[in-house]
Amino acid sequence: MERRVGSPARYRFDDRFLFIIVPLFLLDAVLGGWAFHYRHFHPTGILVYVCAALQSMPIIAFIVVLGLYLAEETDEFMRALWVQSLLWGTGATLAVTTFCGAMEKYGQATHMGGGMIPFVFYIAMIASLAVNTWRNR
Amino acid sequence: MFCGIKSPEQRRLTVRCWMSVPLVVLFSLGAAAGVVLGHWHGWAAYLVAVLPALPILWVIYEFGVYLAHEKDEFQRMLLAQCLLGGIGGTLATTTIWGFLEDFAHVPRLDLAWVYPIFWLFVLVSWPVVWRRYR
Repeated sequence: MERRVGSPARYRFDDRFLFIIVPLFLLDAVLGGWAFHYRHFHPTGILVYVCAALQSMPIIAFIVVLGLYLAEETDEFMRALWVQSLLWGTGATLAVTTFCGAMEKYGQATHMGGGMIPFVFYIAMIASLAVNTWRNR
Repeated sequence: MFCGIKSPEQRRLTVRCWMSVPLVVLFSLGAAAGVVLGHWHGWAAYLVAVLPALPILWVIYEFGVYLAHEKDEFQRMLLAQCLLGGIGGTLATTTIWGFLEDFAHVPRLDLAWVYPIFWLFVLVSWPVVWRRYR
């Protein structure tokens, strides 16, 4: 089996993803699934903002981890691949949100929550990364 | 107006960005008029809703072309960092807003605002990135 050796920056990115992002997503899932759906937890006052901040943490942490990776990566080619993918993700997100916003305004579509926007971005970014990697294989 | 910009790639990008502004306004007004006056719905409404997004897609495409053609690596890196700052800020804002919509019942975020929010964060990132390399 071929062993693929990445850069130290990539190792750090993988570590941060595994030990920071994954636990935060698990916390998010527990909070969303157990507290809000099973226990019907309805936070009030300052707790609302704490819960919103907690549930936003994985997305914000992922952005920070990506930024750190891009700052630490010394391989110009890999950095260019990631930057291209991030830009495609940005483009797709802006296009989809503008389109959905227009559809909502004309009363043709239901409201897409702000929490969905990062998922649009990450799906587009991952698809673009896969295409870019395949093109440069 | 654009003579002060030395790089031909930067000049091209600036001119095209400015060209897209009246197009966004024109297409938005056209789409709104079409839906309000024509009472279109279904596929026709979908097609009309795409219209305001077209100049936005064009600007994003032009940024991609600029990043591919700009020979000055440093300028390219500065712009890429600003754009990343823009998307990071946008994602953070929309995520927090989305959860506040669920928990605190704050007013819904009109998705048409995502694009201006993105550029606002790009503008905020610009002096920060620029200062780092002064």
